[in-house]
Amino acid sequence: MLDRDSLGELFGKVGVGNQTMLGIMGNNRDVSVGEIFMIYSQRDGHERVFFFRVLGLENYLRQVDDMARVAGTLMVEGDSYLSGIERNMLLSVDGRMLGYAEETGEGWRFRSPRRLPDHLASVYRPIPGTSDKPVREMLSSQTDGSVRVGDLQIGEATLDVPVMIPTDKLPMHVGIFGSTGSGKSNLMMVLIKSIIDSNLDYLREHDSEHPRVSAFCIDPHDEFARGVDKYGIQSVIEAMDATTRADVIKDFYYLTTHKRATKREIKRYTKEIRVLWEEIRPRDLYSIMEFTPQMYSFIDSQFSRHQEEWVEKILNMTEDDTPEGTPKGTLKAVQRRLRFLERSPIFVESGSSILGEIFEAMETGRILVVNTSLMSDMEQFLLTTIVTRTLSDMRRALKSSGNLGDFVRQGEMRLPKPFFGKVKAQAKAFYGKGGVDDESPVRDPRELPVILVTVEEAPSILNPELMRGQSVFKDISRQGRKFNIGLLVVSQQVSVLDNVILSQMNTEVNLRLGNEREIRACIENASINISGFENEFRVMAQGEGIVTASYREMPLPVKIPLFDTVFERDKARYKAKGPPRKERTL
Amino acid sequence: MLEKILTDKFREILKLVFTDITNQQDRRDAEEFSKDEVRIKEHLLDVVEPYPPDTILDDDFLIAAVDGSGTDNLMLLDDIRVHLLSTATTVLDTNTRSEKLFDPISTKALEERLGGQPHLDVHWHSGVRNDAQKKMAETLESIYPLKDVVDIILPFFKDDSSGVISSVSGFTGTDYEKHLPELREMETLISRAQILTNPVVHDELRKVSEYAAARNVLTSDIRPKYLLLDGALSIFMHFVKKYPSMPSGFMLRELASLARKEGVVLCAVSKNHTIPFAHRIAKMAQDAFGEGTKWFCQLPCRDDPGGGLHITEDRTYIPPRLAVPYLFSFSQDNRPSRIDFDRVWWLENVFVRSDPVATRQNEKALFRDLEFMSRDARWYGYPVPLALAHEACKLSYEDLRLAREICKDVRHEIGLDTRKTEPLRADYNL
Ligand SMILES: Nc1ncnc2c1ncn2[C@@H]1O[C@H](COP(=O)(O)OP(=O)(O)OP(=O)(O)O)[C@@H](O)[C@H]1O
Ligand SMILES: [Mg+2]
Repeated sequence: MLDRDSLGELFGKVGVGNQTMLGIMGNNRDVSVGEIFMIYSQRDGHERVFFFRVLGLENYLRQVDDMARVAGTLMVEGDSYLSGIERNMLLSVDGRMLGYAEETGEGWRFRSPRRLPDHLASVYRPIPGTSDKPVREMLSSQTDGSVRVGDLQIGEATLDVPVMIPTDKLPMHVGIFGSTGSGKSNLMMVLIKSIIDSNLDYLREHDSEHPRVSAFCIDPHDEFARGVDKYGIQSVIEAMDATTRADVIKDFYYLTTHKRATKREIKRYTKEIRVLWEEIRPRDLYSIMEFTPQMYSFIDSQFSRHQEEWVEKILNMTEDDTPEGTPKGTLKAVQRRLRFLERSPIFVESGSSILGEIFEAMETGRILVVNTSLMSDMEQFLLTTIVTRTLSDMRRALKSSGNLGDFVRQGEMRLPKPFFGKVKAQAKAFYGKGGVDDESPVRDPRELPVILVTVEEAPSILNPELMRGQSVFKDISRQGRKFNIGLLVVSQQVSVLDNVILSQMNTEVNLRLGNEREIRACIENASINISGFENEFRVMAQGEGIVTASYREMPLPVKIPLFDTVFERDKARYKAKGPPRKERTL
Repeated sequence: MLEKILTDKFREILKLVFTDITNQQDRRDAEEFSKDEVRIKEHLLDVVEPYPPDTILDDDFLIAAVDGSGTDNLMLLDDIRVHLLSTATTVLDTNTRSEKLFDPISTKALEERLGGQPHLDVHWHSGVRNDAQKKMAETLESIYPLKDVVDIILPFFKDDSSGVISSVSGFTGTDYEKHLPELREMETLISRAQILTNPVVHDELRKVSEYAAARNVLTSDIRPKYLLLDGALSIFMHFVKKYPSMPSGFMLRELASLARKEGVVLCAVSKNHTIPFAHRIAKMAQDAFGEGTKWFCQLPCRDDPGGGLHITEDRTYIPPRLAVPYLFSFSQDNRPSRIDFDRVWWLENVFVRSDPVATRQNEKALFRDLEFMSRDARWYGYPVPLALAHEACKLSYEDLRLAREICKDVRHEIGLDTRKTEPLRADYNL
């Protein structure tokens, strides 16, 4: 039996109630939008605790159905009073029944709000410090996971109930939506740290239930490494002893365009981003900019003729070299579009490429912070695309192979040859089961680290126009799960994102939004019904959000901690002999 | 149906009825009223002099109120009727010192003294001959806290005989003597046994459960200054036996005498009353004192100085036996209400023989208190303790529906057949 005192403060009794309204008889005290009430009911030996979230409220007097008349009497009859008004209240609260937890004999199960609490059931208001443990237990199916987003928020306070995303749901894509200043960057840093923590657990405890997670994190403002305020990811790296650091990041985690311009401490863990033209595929460009049908067929023909040399060939071509039938002006137009590659410091014709090292990092459970602040938008988008396509094609080759011999054939077919040649040996080591000869069977991608690729300024590439064509992101949004690769879509807007990506997204962190249109789009897109939460969005503060997930019944209000706070709290554990991670739920 | 109601013919029928009423009843009453008019205006009617809103009483006091509700048809199991009775007690503190006027004592504190609030009782009887009477007697015995029937009946005879009969031996040689055996048993106190219809049974049970709740207040340590009941202090008499025809009549007198002993003012307020010419008295008050003035008006009986009113002469229960009724209005928007006091208490505490001025002063002090407790904005003009008690005890349609469902549930739980609990007519969609 549940210790009911641990639910929190007894607030009153259910007077009337349905899915969207609760009449509570009780003391009228300040109730704020966003609070969660827990309603305890016990019937036929079943203990149930309903969760009701306040979305709006209206006080009214218990015995009054005609407030206007009473107000009138108070005005007209100057000597009138209201007897016992503080006590004898019926508080009418608009909100949403989020669901209920039910004790099944094998712990708590959470269910959608199909039923309603009994008349006169007791209503509790959770208190931080008292209610944390029971709420954690009751909501475990709703909050468990290994990547921590924040803590369950109840009105203005939070409970010590971590809200997590399960590793195996990451390949079903995650969206982070919020207007500028809503806390997206801070959240990204919190997530990166949480991924590091989770990988550290894996390394230290060989906790195979929480597989490793890799993340390729685009950082358009170069904030993650140094942090926004006091600490950043660099602080986490520095807090580690040398062994731990080598385990977690090997020898680098920071990628940038110009190593020279990097701060000294970070420079030690920095590599420069260089990608060879030969590693670019036409589809990469199709994913980030629009072409006419004539241009597509021209590029495709050049690619099939020259293979890895297609970029170089096109850029150096004259009108005379174009195949017969190429409409006039097509070459010029294509060249104009590719010209940025010539000027780019990161997409280079020759030299050494970072792509192989990115592959290695992503296949070994590491995080990469990618400073794109000195890149053009096109460069940033192309980089994201090439990385996504390369990683997914590698795993696609793996997925369609029975043994390593198959894999090599598949890889050679699907990936740029020079690149595949470079990573082949390593890939065989990652993908082979019990050996690296051609006969060795291959692993299922789901045994490999989850790879999370962030797509920043998502509307620029995940818009309906580009997604209509042969976008790399269309494939990955549909098939990521098969390859264990997920997209982490970061955007200020939801309304302009393509439906394919939105419908494939299964976890959303909805932060404060800019306007009513975005609020509506966010509510419509959420993986569970959060209609009625409009007011909530309107009063959300920085760092507050609602986590919705298709695999959960309950929308979870969450307070994302400041990165500095969690770093301060956890920094000791990055030493080899540091204390273990804070006790996990369950 | 509607087309008939909308016809001129129906209007004609109504016209005839109302003309008849005016011709026969009103005209006769109007004549009677005119005989009373001057007396009412000059001697019986007066203004309430209210406390100022920010008054601080020398002695803040408590007021208790009891109200009940219920249904005679919680469940119908063939010929068995299950009744549900709910009674609620509220206690308020005038609390002028802390400026939280008429502050209710918490339910918790009340429940510690009086038991669960509101209180529920269930009763049943069948259509078997005498069963209604037998079962009712059993329930009354269990509800009313005073168990000795002789103790219950004596106060009536004591008050009614002005103290001549003060014990069972006092019956010797009186008309009551031959009824003594009947007066010793609850079952035979029910002398209207022939007409124990379901509503009559229910009313009696409800009254007694309210009296029981009131009595519990008197025997508790709450010590209110006023104890308010809902209704009138009427007692229905057996015309041959010359004593109350139902146990509740005795219990009311027992309650009244206990209240006197405890120094508690017992009164009953009824919104619904049948005082003839109440509207004319209200109009008179308005004309005499001005609009919006709060007023009260005594309705004297035969024994009072000046005798009874002509308008109430032929009305058996106005004024009620052993009670003193007043009309009052504390709010110009509402029709006047009626309040009854225990006559024995009134004679001792309000009435001053041969001193109408002193009597009036006592009345004014009484109505000043009553008016003060009737200013809640939700029920302006009506005593708030009673309003709260009413709200606490009332069974809404939804409450009843749930209660019936629980009946079904409980029957199921204890392995009885589950019958439909809806009224029978529901079977035919009627
Ligand atoms: N979880 C949080 N708790 C409290 N304050 C926060 C939180 N997250 C962010 N903030 C505050 O909001 C400010 C902006 O946060 P952040 O830079 O993360 O927003 P953003 O969504 O990335 O904005 P932009 O779209 O401009 O990049 C921070 O400087 C910080 O002070
Ligand atoms: Mg930002």
